[in-house]
Amino acid sequence: MLTDTRPAAPAAPRGRRPRRRTVVALLATLAVLAPVAWFWAASLPAGSWSVTEMGVPDDGGGPAGMAGHDMAGMAGRSVDTLRLPAETPADARITLTARADGSRYTLNGQTPGPEIRAVAGQVVEVRLVNADVARGITLHWHGLDVPNGDDGVAGVTQDAVLPGGEFVYRFRATQVGTYWYHSHQVADEQVKGGLFGSLVVVPPEGVGPEATALVHLFGGRRTVNGTPGDLAVPAAPGQTVRVRLTNTDDGPMRAWSAAPYRVLAVDGTEVNGPTPVSGAAVGITAGGRVDLEVTAPARIELGGAAVVVGGGGAPSSVPAASVDLLSYGTPAPLRFDPTTPNRIFDYAIGRRPGFIGGVPGLYWTINGRMYPDVPMYEVREGDVVRMRISNSSGEVHPMHLHGHHAVVLARDGVPSTGSPWWIDSLDVPDGATFDIAFVADNPGIWMDHCHNLTHPKQGLVAHLMYEGVTTPYRAGPDTPNDPE
Amino acid sequence: MRAVYRVLAYLLALEVVVQAAAIAWAVFGLTTWIEGGGVLDKAGMESESVVFDGVTGFMVHGMNGTLIVPIFGLLFLISSFFARFPGAIAWAGAAFGLVVIQVALGIFAHSIPALGMLHGALALGLLVVALVAARKASVATAAASEPASTGSHAAPLV
Ligand SMILES: [Cu+2]
Repeated sequence: MLTDTRPAAPAAPRGRRPRRRTVVALLATLAVLAPVAWFWAASLPAGSWSVTEMGVPDDGGGPAGMAGHDMAGMAGRSVDTLRLPAETPADARITLTARADGSRYTLNGQTPGPEIRAVAGQVVEVRLVNADVARGITLHWHGLDVPNGDDGVAGVTQDAVLPGGEFVYRFRATQVGTYWYHSHQVADEQVKGGLFGSLVVVPPEGVGPEATALVHLFGGRRTVNGTPGDLAVPAAPGQTVRVRLTNTDDGPMRAWSAAPYRVLAVDGTEVNGPTPVSGAAVGITAGGRVDLEVTAPARIELGGAAVVVGGGGAPSSVPAASVDLLSYGTPAPLRFDPTTPNRIFDYAIGRRPGFIGGVPGLYWTINGRMYPDVPMYEVREGDVVRMRISNSSGEVHPMHLHGHHAVVLARDGVPSTGSPWWIDSLDVPDGATFDIAFVADNPGIWMDHCHNLTHPKQGLVAHLMYEGVTTPYRAGPDTPNDPE
Repeated sequence: MRAVYRVLAYLLALEVVVQAAAIAWAVFGLTTWIEGGGVLDKAGMESESVVFDGVTGFMVHGMNGTLIVPIFGLLFLISSFFARFPGAIAWAGAAFGLVVIQVALGIFAHSIPALGMLHGALALGLLVVALVAARKASVATAAASEPASTGSHAAPLV
């Protein structure tokens, strides 16, 4: 206490003042901490959730009328009904058995898994067996617009296949081209660890000389089909070879060749009127595919790895120029009219500090909001949908819409003047804006997310939701399902 | 509380040093790795499987910069409310403001790399502010613990 030799009068304000100061300091602390604490508490996850209850409904200017979307399982068709009829006979069958092998995963003993090949029109049946992958697995058919019930997203279209369990996928392979499959349960870790494989659909009349090159980084080294270094493709001099390149990593890569080449297909769709390219590289976004045609001998550089066709070709350094798919090839009529859309959506990607699941960090935002307040894009079967994807987040994002192929109409306001540029995985660099369009012709609940698989965990995931479709599946800590 | 203030100020200063050291380690490690035949593109950058001496520097810089430094900055600001010496809040506020700007620059320099120069330069500003704040807290503590109001020059306490 204060010594009492001083007069009482001045002592009183001195005694009160520190107390008042303490109160002011506490109030200031509260003012600083309260919003932080509020955002933190608001971000704490529920034990489990349904994607139908999550996010901000966006009808894109079309008819709303989606009452019941927040009552999972109470209205409409379940994703389980959106599958091939059980009695449809399978034309091709394969069993894939997954095992954990250290930090890697194998399918039927190999990493990556075996290539699945189908002839267009065939019904493919894949029996996925989980031998011992503790957290469970699924398979997603990246780029194939399969029925929703077979899309393989844990917690959305199925439960993760736990050790000892199995799941049978069935779909008709109607799209000719280069695709791949990968796990969509704990996808970031499992795809990095090699739980994926190639999926090729060939036309009934067959294809000429060709090779598949699944590109993936293992241990910091670029591998082709799981092997570091060069992939040798035998070919006679003068022979043309189609090389199917798939980027299974998290960031864009480039492919180039000292000799001229043609870009035959992008994301499984043939380019109309592909012209020879020289002195330019072609970009392949994460999850994307590009089919290149080279004439043997030739060497396709992948940056730290190569595809060597017919034993030949000198190594070359990466050209500064890139093939611009916005103007590559010849225009052709589209199979729908994108000029009169029923719905127009925005998918604007940003970034800011905040909390997700109680963890502070720098997170992605969609249309200014942070996960779980991400858009729920509502459509009706038959809608023509336009979407403007823009990115001001400082980093590139490979955007992947499940179950649909979209056509690129314009980039940064410049209309496409080349071949119709159909994508399922689109490289959206920082500062870029893309206008894309697609037909809502595949009912279901579809993820629309970044294929840099570290980013969905940081909030870069939205859903395309068809009217009248629900899901009985849930994700979250109280379930085995963690699609990201 | 003044002691807490001082410790947090020194911690912030130390963090600036750690950040500078980590990023320099990472950049030298990366260039050495590339000289040795390593190839890095965006796919590689995003892959956690690319490992070289110094790659940890990138992770340390990122984690520190987006998480630990902001938390220290916030705690420092809060401690300043209780530190009770002239300028305590102003210096802590300046440090916190600089932390906010640094985080923002860390985000936007990915779009405009030249902002990285400002990011590096402002780090030195943060270092100086943190050290001055720590010094002021020490001086204030020393002044308070001196036998007060005995000399004729003793300033009246407010
Ligand atoms: Cu991303």
